Amino acid sequence: MSENRNTLSKQFLQFLPDNAVLTHNEDLHPYECDGLSAYRQVPLVVVIPETIEHIVRIVNICRKTNTPIVCRGAGTSVSGGALPLENGVLLSLAKFNRILNIDPVNRLACVQPGVRNLAISQATQSYGLYYAPDPSSQIACSIGGNVAENAGGVHCLKYGLTVHNILQLKIVTIEGELLTLGGSGLDGPGYDLLALLTGSEGMLGIIVEIVVKLLPVPECASVVLAAFDEIEHAGNAVTEIIASGIIPAGLEMMDRHATRAAEEYVHAGYPDNAAAILLCELDGIKEEVSAQISQVKDILLKHRAVQTRIAKDEVERQLLWAGRKGAFPAVVRLAPDYYCMDGTIPRRKLAFVLNRISELSEEYQLAIANVFHAGDGNLHPLILYDANKPGELHRSEELGGKILELCLEVGGTITGEHGVGVEKLNQMCVQFDTLELSQFHAIKHAFDPDELLNPGKAVPSLHRCAELGAMHVHEGKLPFPDIERF
Amino acid sequence: MNPIINNDDTVQLQELTQNAYAKKIPLRIFGSDTKSFYGNKIQGHPLCLVNHVGIVDYEPAELVLTARAGTKLREIEALLHSAGQMLAFEPPYFGEEATWGGTVACGFSGPRRPYAGALRDSILGVRMINGKGEQLRFGGKVIKNVAGYDASRLMAGALGTLGILLDISVKVIPRPQLEMTLVLEQTPEEAITYMNTLAGGPVPLSAAAYVDGQVLIRLSGTQAAVQAAAVKISGQEHEPSSSFWQQLKEHSHPFFSTETPLWRLSLLPGSPMLKIPGDWMLDWGGAQRWLKTNEPANLIRDAVQAAGGHATLFRQGELKDQQMKDGENTPVFHPLSKPLASVHEKLKTAFDPEYILNRNQLYT
Amino acid sequence: MQTSIDKLIKLTQPGQEADAILRKCVHCGFCNATCPTYQLLGDELDGPRGRIYLIKQALEGNAVTRKTQTHLDRCLNCLACETTCPSGVEYHRLLDIGRNWVDQHVQRSAYDNVRRKLLRGILPYKRRFHFLLSLGQMMSFILPDAVKRAIPARQIRSPWPDKQHQRKMLVLDGCVQPSLAPNINTATARVLAALGISLVKADKAGCCGAVSWHLSAPEEARVFMRQNIDAWWPFIEAGIEAIVMTASGCGSVVKEYGAYLADDKNYAQKARRVSELTKDISEILVNEDLSFFNNTIKNIGKPQRVAFHAPCTLQHGQKITGVVETILQQAGYELTHVPDAHLCCGSAGTYSILQKDLSQQLLINKLKSLENDHPDVIVTMNIGCLNHLASGANTKVLHVVELLEKGLRQGKSLN
Repeated sequence: MSENRNTLSKQFLQFLPDNAVLTHNEDLHPYECDGLSAYRQVPLVVVIPETIEHIVRIVNICRKTNTPIVCRGAGTSVSGGALPLENGVLLSLAKFNRILNIDPVNRLACVQPGVRNLAISQATQSYGLYYAPDPSSQIACSIGGNVAENAGGVHCLKYGLTVHNILQLKIVTIEGELLTLGGSGLDGPGYDLLALLTGSEGMLGIIVEIVVKLLPVPECASVVLAAFDEIEHAGNAVTEIIASGIIPAGLEMMDRHATRAAEEYVHAGYPDNAAAILLCELDGIKEEVSAQISQVKDILLKHRAVQTRIAKDEVERQLLWAGRKGAFPAVVRLAPDYYCMDGTIPRRKLAFVLNRISELSEEYQLAIANVFHAGDGNLHPLILYDANKPGELHRSEELGGKILELCLEVGGTITGEHGVGVEKLNQMCVQFDTLELSQFHAIKHAFDPDELLNPGKAVPSLHRCAELGAMHVHEGKLPFPDIERF
Repeated sequence: MNPIINNDDTVQLQELTQNAYAKKIPLRIFGSDTKSFYGNKIQGHPLCLVNHVGIVDYEPAELVLTARAGTKLREIEALLHSAGQMLAFEPPYFGEEATWGGTVACGFSGPRRPYAGALRDSILGVRMINGKGEQLRFGGKVIKNVAGYDASRLMAGALGTLGILLDISVKVIPRPQLEMTLVLEQTPEEAITYMNTLAGGPVPLSAAAYVDGQVLIRLSGTQAAVQAAAVKISGQEHEPSSSFWQQLKEHSHPFFSTETPLWRLSLLPGSPMLKIPGDWMLDWGGAQRWLKTNEPANLIRDAVQAAGGHATLFRQGELKDQQMKDGENTPVFHPLSKPLASVHEKLKTAFDPEYILNRNQLYT
Repeated sequence: MQTSIDKLIKLTQPGQEADAILRKCVHCGFCNATCPTYQLLGDELDGPRGRIYLIKQALEGNAVTRKTQTHLDRCLNCLACETTCPSGVEYHRLLDIGRNWVDQHVQRSAYDNVRRKLLRGILPYKRRFHFLLSLGQMMSFILPDAVKRAIPARQIRSPWPDKQHQRKMLVLDGCVQPSLAPNINTATARVLAALGISLVKADKAGCCGAVSWHLSAPEEARVFMRQNIDAWWPFIEAGIEAIVMTASGCGSVVKEYGAYLADDKNYAQKARRVSELTKDISEILVNEDLSFFNNTIKNIGKPQRVAFHAPCTLQHGQKITGVVETILQQAGYELTHVPDAHLCCGSAGTYSILQKDLSQQLLINKLKSLENDHPDVIVTMNIGCLNHLASGANTKVLHVVELLEKGLRQGKSLN
C-alpha cells in the first residue's frame, strides 16, 4: 500500500506542487468522509489539481496504474458520494472555483465545477439573473457536485432540478479525453448525454466545466407561512394548492421537531407548538403574486391552518428560508447525530407514509424529524441518534432502510435528490431488478470499462443484491402480494 | 370524449424483439409513421406499436401522466385539457395520428421550449425493451428521482435506437389562464436582441419567433400577469393568439411549404444571423432557426459549428444524391467528434448489442 | 459527529469541553463556504471543518506534527464559520483547546519561537510598543517600502473634553491603539460628550490579553485580564454605566473574561461583572439620539459615501451586525455596496505578521470589495483592521467615531 502511495505521489509531484499531493495520514484523515460522516475511509492519496491539463495527467496515470479515482467538490454529499477508496486517489476540485464567463444576453454562465452554488447567483445578481436550483446546502455545495448528484432544492417544483438548468458540460473521460456534452444552444447533436451524465455520481466522467442556465430574478417573491395542528391538514392544503393550478416557487413542510431546531438556529419566529408548518412561496409579476397569495391563503385557512403569516419584506422572506435551509444541521440541537433520508412519494400518500414513519420511529426507539419538499413529494426524514452509543447508528440505518422501502411500496423512489452514494446501495436492489441493474452496469462500461471512476457507488453489484436477497418492488407491488411478510 | 382504448402489448412486443435479437434481424420501430420523414432512412422488419395503447396512470393533483407508446397524442392532450393541464413542451404532431412513443423518440418540442423546458425535461420515467428483448423500467412516476443513471431522459430524441418505448411518464403543468400574442415589425438583428432582452427580464414569456419581418411574442400565465406584461411591452395584438404558434409548431406556416431542403439550426439564442444564403425563420427566441436553402451541407455545418451550434437536415426536400459522391445521402444529423462518436457507439452497444433497433437511423 | 476522545484528555475540563463541541459538528461543510483561508487555498485542511477534524484527530490521541500546527496557525480566528454554522459549534473554544494541545506537543522552529515571543513581549506593553513605533516613524526613510506602509504617520492628539457629565463610562485604552491612533479614544470622548456622557480612563489598565491568548499563552493572558479587572474595579464600584470598547478585537476578548476566568476563585465573579458591563462603542451609540449628528451633516450638503468594513471580532466574534450601519445612516451618511462583507481583511491581530502571504492576499481582496463602489471614505471599528487597510488603501480609512467626530466639528463651525 505505502509503496503504491509513494510511486503514485512521485508521478503526481512531477506536475503538481508539494501542497497539492497529500500522502501523510495526518493530512489524509480530514478527507476520510464527506457530509455523511458515518462512513469513513482514508484515501491512498489526495490530489488538488488546478487545471484541466492536470486532471488529464492524473487520469492517465491512474488508468495506466489501474488506480480508482473518487472526485470531491465541497464534500457536502449526504449520501457518501465522495467517500474515498482505500486504494484510490481522491481528486479534489476545490481549486476549480472560478466563474469563467457570464453571458447576460444568452443568460448563461460558464463555471468551474468547484464554484459554490450560491456564488453563481451572487455573481449574476447585478444582471438581474440567477441560477435557480437551490439545494439547502447551496451556501457551500459545489456546482460540479450538484451536476453529479442532479441536486434539487426548495425551488425545484417550479424551476426544475439541476438537469433542467444546465446547458453544457465538459468532462474528462477515463481515456483522458476532453468531451463537450450538450450544445451552446438548447440542445446538442446525438444522444442526450448531458442528461445521462447529470446525476451519474461521478461514475461516467470527471466534470471539469459547466455552462449553467440563468433565469431572470422574479419581479416579486412572497412567502406565506402557515401552521397546522395536524400534519394531515397541511398535506391536504398542499394537494389543493397544486390542484388549483398554482405552481408555487417553493412549497415546504416541517414537522414539530424540525421547526423547533430551525427556530433555535435562525429565530425566524416559526410557531413552536404546531404539528407542522408550511412555507409557500409565490413569485412572478407583482399583480400575479398578490392575486395568488390571497388564493393560497384562502386554501390554507380552508384546511384549518391555525395561523398564517406573510413575510413583510425581503429580510423576513430570506429569514424564513434560512431556517428551512439550515434545518438539517440544526437538528443536532435536538440530538448529537442525524441520518437523513431522501425518499420521494406520490403526494397523495403523504399522510399514510408519515403515520407509518412515526410507527417505525416508535418501533426503533429513535426520534425522527421530518423536513419535506411537499410540492414535489420529496421527503427528508431525519433520524436522530447518538453515534457514541453503541448500536444506535446501526439501528438508524436499519430504520432508514425501512423508510425507503416504504417509499417504494407506495410507488415512490429511494432518492429524490441526494443520490445513492454508498448508503442506499441496498435499497437499489429493491428498486431495480437484475436486468435493470445489468443495464446500468453496461452504461457504466460504455464510459469506464475498467471501473476506475468512483467504483462501488450508486449502482450495487449483482452479487451484493443476491447476497442481500432483497425483494424487488415494482411500482408499489411486491411479487406475490398474498404472502404475509414481517 | 371517447374512452381511450386500453391494451397492453408488452408480451408480444417482447417476444418479437427477443426473436429478432436471437436471429439478428434489424427492426424498424414505428407508430403511425407521421414523422418517418425525419432521420436517416432505414430498412428493417416492421415493429408497430399502435396496438400498445392506453393511459396507465393520471392523477391531475400529482401532475404526472403515464401512457403507453401507441396512445394517440391528441387523446393525451385532450385528457389533460379536460383537467386544466397540458404538456409543458407543446409537442409538434406532424400528423393527426401522432403517437406518444413517436413523440418521445423524436424528442421534438414546440415554441414553448425555451421557457417551459424541452420534452426531455418533462420525462420522469420509461418502461422499455432493450435490444436484447429485456423489459426494463427507469425513472419513475414521481417528480424527483435520482436513483440510477437517468436512462429515461436518454430515450428522448434517441429515435428508438436504444430501446422500444412501452410506457412513458411525464410531468404535466397547469394550463395558463390566458395567452396573448403581440406582433412587431423588426429586422432580424433587432428581433434577436429584442427576444433575448425580454427573456432576461420578468416577463411571462412563453414563445418568441421571427418570420417575414415580424417578431411575435407570446405571453402566458394568470390574467393579471399577462395583462400587466402586455402593457409594458409594445406590439400589436395578434388574434387569435394560438393560430400562428400552431402553424409554426406543425410546419403548416407558408414558410415551410417548399421543396427546398429544410435545416434546423441549434444556436445560442443571441447569435447574430449566420451568413448562409437562404430563407430564415427564428423560433425559441433565436435558439432554434429554420433555414430553407440549397447550399451544400458542409458549408452550412461549418458555419453553424463555428458559431458553436449544430445543424440537422430536418427535411430532405429535393436534396437527394446530387451533393454526395457515390450516391450516398447527406447525413441528417451533425457529425460528431471522434471521441463523442465513440461514446455513442459504445452506448448503443450497451443497450442494443446486435444493432437491431432502428439501425443507422441516428448515426451510422 | 462520532468521537472517541482519548481517555486521558477526556478527564480534563478542556477535554470534556472539546468533546461536547465536537459532538455538535455534523460535518456539513457550510463553514468552509465562508472561510477566508479555504477560499484562498482550496484545501480541506485549511477550512474550519478540516481544522476541527485535525483537532479531533489530535485529541483522540493520534500523533501530531508540524503539519497540523501549520493548518491551525493559518486560521485567522475570524469566526465567520461560527456565524455560518447551523449546528452552533463553538469553533473558537475548540480552536483554543486544539492550539494549546498541539503547541504542547509540537516543537516550533527557533525562528518561529522568537517571532512569537517578541510579539508577546512587545505588543501588549504600551511603552515598549510606543518606543519602537516612534523609532520606526523617525527612521522610516531607511525602512523597506513594505514595512513603511505598515507604519502610520504620527497623529497630533486633539484635546480630551474636560466638561463633567452625570453619565459616566469607562474606556479601555488598550496597548497599541494609544500609540498608533490616539485620536480614536479622544474622538470617542468628544462624541460621547456631545451626547452628555463623560468618558474616563483607568490608568493602570492595559492590554486586554488577546495577544497572549491567541499565541497559546493563556496564563500570561490571564495576568493581563486580572490587571485590568483590578484597575477597573474601583470605577465599577463607583457606578460607571459601561466599559466602552473602541477596538472590537479587545471587546470580543473582554466580553469573554467571565468565561476565561471562570475557574479563578478570586476573579470569577468580578470577571463576569466586567464582561456584562463591556459594550462596543456601537452598542452605546445606537441607543442614543443621533439626529444631532444628522443635522450637522445635512448642513454640509451632499452626504458622504462611506464603505463600512465590519471587523470579524465585531460581526462574528461579538455578533454585532447591522448596528454600525444603522448609526452611520442615522448620522446621515450613505453606505456603499460592499460585496463579501463577511470576509476577513487579513489583519487578525498578529496574523498580518506571522502569516504575511495569506494576510496580504486577503487585504488585496478586501480592498477591492471595499473600493468597488468608489466610497469617499472607508470606516471600521478596530485598530488592527484600520491600520491594515490603511497600509494598502487608496481611500482614507477612519474609525467610525473619528468620522462622527469630524462631522461634529464641521457642523459646529458651520453653525
